[in-house]
Amino acid sequence: MTSAGAAPDGGTDPDDGIVPDDGVPDDGVGREARIDRWLVGKARDGDLGAYEELIRRHRDRIYRIALRITGDPADADDVTQEVVIQLWTALSGFVGSSAFTTWLYRVVVNRSLDHQRRTRRLTGDEPGDDDLLPVAAPERSVLAAAELRAGLEAIARLPESQRVPFVLCQIEGLGYAQAAAITKVSEATVRGRLARARATLLAEMRSWSA
Amino acid sequence: MTGPALPDTRLPCGRSTGPLLEQVAEGRAGELDAHQRTCPHCRAALAEFDRLWAPVRAVAADRPQAPPSVVEAALLRVRGASAGPEYGRIDSPLGHTRVAARVVVALARHLAAQVPGVEVALGGLVTDGHQDAGEVVPDVEAGVTGGSTAVQITLAAAYGQDLQALGERIRAVVARGVREVTGLEPVDVTVHVDDVW
Repeated sequence: MTSAGAAPDGGTDPDDGIVPDDGVPDDGVGREARIDRWLVGKARDGDLGAYEELIRRHRDRIYRIALRITGDPADADDVTQEVVIQLWTALSGFVGSSAFTTWLYRVVVNRSLDHQRRTRRLTGDEPGDDDLLPVAAPERSVLAAAELRAGLEAIARLPESQRVPFVLCQIEGLGYAQAAAITKVSEATVRGRLARARATLLAEMRSWSA
Repeated sequence: MTGPALPDTRLPCGRSTGPLLEQVAEGRAGELDAHQRTCPHCRAALAEFDRLWAPVRAVAADRPQAPPSVVEAALLRVRGASAGPEYGRIDSPLGHTRVAARVVVALARHLAAQVPGVEVALGGLVTDGHQDAGEVVPDVEAGVTGGSTAVQITLAAAYGQDLQALGERIRAVVARGVREVTGLEPVDVTVHVDDVW
């Protein structure tokens, strides 16, 4: 298989792995990637309308990746804004050797990690042993919201090296190859880190129910 | 992170727990192989992992959208000073309605993108606007009771079709839509087919 395939919004584009935010799956011949390339070309020429369309197509995924990596909606807002502002000038550095989405998601991942490190440095909010106890064990809660929060918190506490491939593959449904390209490691490394992330999370879930 | 990762242990039946966790994580907990169908150890482990995995499934199922205000605030900064406020103006006896040029652009883009044969479309305003009571009205203003606008659509079209006919269809859809939604009169809809694939 090429994808962790857990994202509920369907499959991935065999061309570059994207599923646009409007939920319309790629037609299998890279139509979405072609549209991205067309828009990127125009945006690089200074067409602000093209840039806005490009952002519209990807804004929700930018936000979701930021949210899952930082684990905090306010941080995800900040990262989304930073990315949208930064990308306008950074597009000139996009040489097109990879799919636009691969480049974009790399920017989002790096921004999210930087933002989280910066926030933790400022607040001294490094996760300690006390932080590892959830407010409520998810399996005892009948509230979906509590379960969701527990999941987000657990993911946010994963080590960076495990969290990033977990978010990209398990949560966003990207393929191993694209996650490897985004994180600049081998596909085997992505698979290994994903497996470790799953095991780490399961151990944490188990400790909650103990 | 709390505790060590769950070790990849062996069940009494000899099966390793690692692949079982992968099976659950990939949403295949119910797809039992021949061994698993009759093995109580595997079935118990799968059920337990599946139960514990619920919070992760909840996260994956949650598809939050970027708050529009967050994205719009960032785009506003990108637009910066280059985005002068342009408005179309529709007068009425009790006052007037101003429609931002951006609204017309966004509407035209949306309408054009819906036309079969259009792969992707961008909207723009014809830039020779003129001043009117301190406002820049897109293109021309016609009469005292209404405003007019000229719109340009730049698009990539699907290959193998009559592009002139496509242009006419786009013109009709955009003109009607802009007129109905904004009250502005589209006096000119220019269709620029930029690419075909």
